[in-house]
Amino acid sequence: MPFKCRFNIAGLALFAALLLLWEFYSRTAGLETYLPPPSAALKALFEPPMARALFGHLLETLGRFVGGYFLAAALAVGLGVVLGYSRVAYSFAEVIIELLRPMPSVAIIPVAILCLGIGDAMMIAVTVYAAAWPILLNTIDGVRNIDRTLLDTGRTFGLGRWRILREVALPAAAPYIATGLRVSLPIALILVTTSEMVAGADGLGYFILDEERSMRPANMYAGIAIVALLGYALNRLFLVLEGRALAWRSGMRIRGEM
Amino acid sequence: MKGGASQMNGVIALLAVMAAWEIVARIGLLNPLLFPPLSRILGSFFSLIASGEIPGQIASSMERAASGYFLAAAVFIPLGVAMGLFERVYRALEIAIETLRPIPPPVVIPVAMLFFGIGDGMKIFVIFFSCAWPILLNTIDGVRNIDHLLVDTARTFGLKRGQTILKVVLPAAAPQIMTGLRISLSITLILVVISEMVGSSDGIGYFILNTQRRLKIDQMYAGMLALALLGYTLNQAFLFLSRRLLHGR
Repeated sequence: MPFKCRFNIAGLALFAALLLLWEFYSRTAGLETYLPPPSAALKALFEPPMARALFGHLLETLGRFVGGYFLAAALAVGLGVVLGYSRVAYSFAEVIIELLRPMPSVAIIPVAILCLGIGDAMMIAVTVYAAAWPILLNTIDGVRNIDRTLLDTGRTFGLGRWRILREVALPAAAPYIATGLRVSLPIALILVTTSEMVAGADGLGYFILDEERSMRPANMYAGIAIVALLGYALNRLFLVLEGRALAWRSGMRIRGEM
Repeated sequence: MKGGASQMNGVIALLAVMAAWEIVARIGLLNPLLFPPLSRILGSFFSLIASGEIPGQIASSMERAASGYFLAAAVFIPLGVAMGLFERVYRALEIAIETLRPIPPPVVIPVAMLFFGIGDGMKIFVIFFSCAWPILLNTIDGVRNIDHLLVDTARTFGLKRGQTILKVVLPAAAPQIMTGLRISLSITLILVVISEMVGSSDGIGYFILNTQRRLKIDQMYAGMLALALLGYTLNQAFLFLSRRLLHGR
């Protein structure tokens, strides 16, 4: 990289120019109904009643996300370890997995509405279904690619099955599992907001669509900014936690290479 | 162990699930409204195909999907090449891109509805937006990771900048560009279904949600089956094409 200043002046300038152009254009062209100036969206963000409502929707969305994501992680890692460990179990599940996998996960929403009605249970269920796939497939891969020597060493030292699983297999498969978890993060957010749009009465997805239908685009853009911030914050948080959790790997890898 | 025995196990498991579904639905163990017998679902699947209903819905979905997908490829592969080759372009666009990227794509649907109504334009835009990131980021990465020796060799042989990009940079970055395109393919399918569920009067996403609302549950499952087959076919076709395109690598 030719210049390495951390402060990206060109990028900031272009971004600011785009915002100013938007502000100016929308004010002069009278586009308030489609493209209100960003300052209007910003104002909506800081008006006390609006901010309170938005915060409430944010909490709903976050709650569904957390519920769906963690449930998906627990189920998919558990199932993935079994299917990665046992060839027989995998051979039974393979055809069913290959049959369900290519279906876009959002197609499950109507089934979920049918079985669970329109509420948190439905939204969490579809989130679990969609977010589970990448975690499941990566966990299966990770468990399969564990170095046999590691498992054999564990066995030599007289570890039981359970301890081998907990102290050898899971840590060894952790990087794969982490990849699955990272891929699932935006998917879970997509499914939460989509189900809120299709059949919700609160949450950011519902809020954004509802403000659009009520012709209050400034509020809609404010909601989108909040969702984007949420997505960004979740991703950042994940990377920090992943770095901490897998910090021991880098030491091991260097030693392994020498 | 990719032998016949393991394949057999899978088929046995599938048949067992199908038989269990059929029996449970027939004796009314599960609400037959929610789980109609599998035979009825398959029956309506075939009659919906014969009547042209499902092929028609899939055709309108595919039209939107293809427009958004190829538009995104046409815009973001060149942009990615430019951003991967020229640090200045990358730095200039970086912040704008990093600001837009964390937006979950379905949330863009209301914005697109504001501008385009609920017609095809809305869906094409949403697909275009959501395909942008995997294509763009993979192209940038692919171009950046090219062996510098290749570019230098081209320069030594007197290739002009445009020729170098076409004949050296693009082929060298092709595997990673294809990765971006493959990720985008599944995203496209998801987003076309979502946008048809939120605002449409046709397409396979609309069909599935609408049959659910009208409680034609066997047709809803038939639509999902068609969608799964479509996803599978598209993915296989993509793998086939990319193998041919990247032949000899």
